[in-house]
Amino acid sequence: MLGYFFKRVLLLIPKLLIISILIFIGLSFVPGDPIDHLIPPDQRAKLSPVQLETLRESLGLNEKLPVRYLRWISGVLKGDFGYSMVSGASIRVMIARRLPATLELAFFGLVIANILGLTLGYISSIKHNSIIDYTNTTLGIIGTSVPEFFLGLCCIAIFSLHLGWLPTGGRVAVGKETFFDRIEYLVLPVLCLAIGYIATLMRYTRGSMLDVLNKDYIKAARSKGISEFRVNCNHGLRNALIPVMIILVNRIPVLVSGAVIIENIFNYPGMGRMILDAISCSDIPVVMFSTMVIATMILVSSLLVDMLAALLDPRIRFN
Amino acid sequence: MNKDIVLSIDGLKTQFKVGKRIVHAVNDVSLSVKRGKTLGIVGESGCGKSVTAHSVVQLLPKTGNICKGTIKYSPEVGKEYVLSDYKRDSKEIRSIRGKHISMIFQDPLSSLDPVYTIGKQIEEILFEHEKISKNEARKRIIDLLAKLGIPKPEERYNHYPHQFSGGMKQRVMIAIAMVCNPKLLIADEPTTALDVTIQAQILSLMRDIQKDYGTSIILITHNMGIVAEACDEVAVMYMGRIVEYGPLEKVFNNPLHPYTSALLRSVPVLGIDKNTELRSIRGNTPDGSDVFQGCEFSPRCDQICQHCKDGHPPVRVVEEGHEVRCWLYEGSGGSDHK
Ligand SMILES: Nc1ncnc2c1ncn2[C@@H]1O[C@H](COP(=O)(O)OP(=O)(O)OP(=O)(O)O)[C@@H](O)[C@H]1O
Ligand code: SF4
Ligand SMILES: [Mg+2]
Repeated sequence: MLGYFFKRVLLLIPKLLIISILIFIGLSFVPGDPIDHLIPPDQRAKLSPVQLETLRESLGLNEKLPVRYLRWISGVLKGDFGYSMVSGASIRVMIARRLPATLELAFFGLVIANILGLTLGYISSIKHNSIIDYTNTTLGIIGTSVPEFFLGLCCIAIFSLHLGWLPTGGRVAVGKETFFDRIEYLVLPVLCLAIGYIATLMRYTRGSMLDVLNKDYIKAARSKGISEFRVNCNHGLRNALIPVMIILVNRIPVLVSGAVIIENIFNYPGMGRMILDAISCSDIPVVMFSTMVIATMILVSSLLVDMLAALLDPRIRFN
Repeated sequence: MNKDIVLSIDGLKTQFKVGKRIVHAVNDVSLSVKRGKTLGIVGESGCGKSVTAHSVVQLLPKTGNICKGTIKYSPEVGKEYVLSDYKRDSKEIRSIRGKHISMIFQDPLSSLDPVYTIGKQIEEILFEHEKISKNEARKRIIDLLAKLGIPKPEERYNHYPHQFSGGMKQRVMIAIAMVCNPKLLIADEPTTALDVTIQAQILSLMRDIQKDYGTSIILITHNMGIVAEACDEVAVMYMGRIVEYGPLEKVFNNPLHPYTSALLRSVPVLGIDKNTELRSIRGNTPDGSDVFQGCEFSPRCDQICQHCKDGHPPVRVVEEGHEVRCWLYEGSGGSDHK
């Protein structure tokens, strides 16, 4: 099994290279002249075409695509991620500031979504066709169908503006820096990020559980005289988790795009806002690199979930 | 309760609620299992064999309910538990399940949990019912696996179900059922999903178990050949009722109920005369939710008489221990069941 995972990890490298090429090519077609965003409009008007050309030359914008790609990728491999074309800041420094914020948001979102999604789905399946089940299912449909931005705005309107319980956005108040100071800023974004996930996870867990509970081995487990709770958990949920895990993988990109939206609504200084800002002013190096970071995150997490699935399912493990 | 009897079912009625409909799966079933003997329950698919078995240990799905009748279990002379009084999933019934009365199911492929090693799955039942150390449990399980004809039991202990063949899986199921040394083993079509050579092996294995441990067995099957080979007594079920019940030789040599005779004609039994024609029973098993005025078998019966459509035939004891539920034997000198 170790060999299998080693192979999977090695396979990440060519995958990432291919993705980086695709992104690079894609971004080269982005309309608009990045030069426009580098200099204030009044100064730009004063520059002659020749001066603009030298500026382009000095920024390396005139080279052929493969050359630019090779220069960029070799820089990345050496740890030199380049500089923002807009602010001139080192991308490495920008990422170091933004990535932890996003990871924090995603981590808590995922933890809460998993705990609540699995628990609610489990309860729904055990109390199949009861009032609890109907309530859960209805809330689940609402949860999956309400878009994040709308939910976010509602939350801000209710909990921040109307009730004044929680801040409208940001990550931490000025002058404070412990994790506890950040909690109140995390609550709403985490909740909004998690709700769609909770609903999806709950529906899949419920469905998968109901499927598993009809299996012969559940009846066989019951015939052993073990308690209903142990039958449901050790045999029911344990088996129901396998397909749910696979669905989790497929939902990771949705979580990422959700994070981009949520960060913008809550003015949360993470990767998502950085990307959107960079896109809106054609800051190609930043867009390029942050897209790579997201692609890596998605690939690594799907690998993690695959590993988890193999751990959960001996039939995968031994094949 | 007679001291020779380990399980007695009296007037069992089990129903299912499907939406607004009530399905009468088992109607007025009475039978008893003698200590150390095998009772066969035979009948077509859907006649209520499994529901009868599941009622015994309250293993019915939530929609199913025992609404009448008593089920008494006597592990030894003088001790008696009324299983039908226990609530589903109560501690009492759970302490009987697996420990006193255990089950083997039809499909060994799907009756083992795919995510646990077979060692773990056998351990689970042992730890539930007995105070035993991990090492002792392991030793006992490996001994049992060896005894049940599983090669290299030490190694197999740590294998997962998908690494076993169908016949081996059924042996593992038997190990699970036997590890607590139950008094009664309910085998619900234990060989239906297996091919014929494996079937014979499993049946002879069950016979050996009975010899060694004195276990009583209820063997559910729709195969008259298996009944002939493995049972001491036989109950023939049709649409939720026992239509004929008696010792094996009596039922086979002198089948009273038209359905039993039809079953015997439709199944090739070892040593059958090559010139005898095999016949199928015409018509299909009616649905359990249909309510009949008269005898349930009347639409398919060759010997139908004028009584048959008027009312349910009563149970008649025609000779010692041989009962039948058919109007043909009314006034034939037999006596009423009750
Ligand atoms: N969960 C259930 N819900 C509703 N009806 C059921 C349920 N389980 C069984 N029944 C009904 O009870 C009747 C008897 O079913 P049972 O499973 O005992 O048949 P069987 O004799 O074991 O047949 P087979 O040989 O196919 O196993 C069937 O007619 C079926 O319709
Ligand atoms: S009661 Fe009548 S219909 Fe029913 S089996 Fe007997 S003879 Fe046939
Ligand atoms: Mg059955």
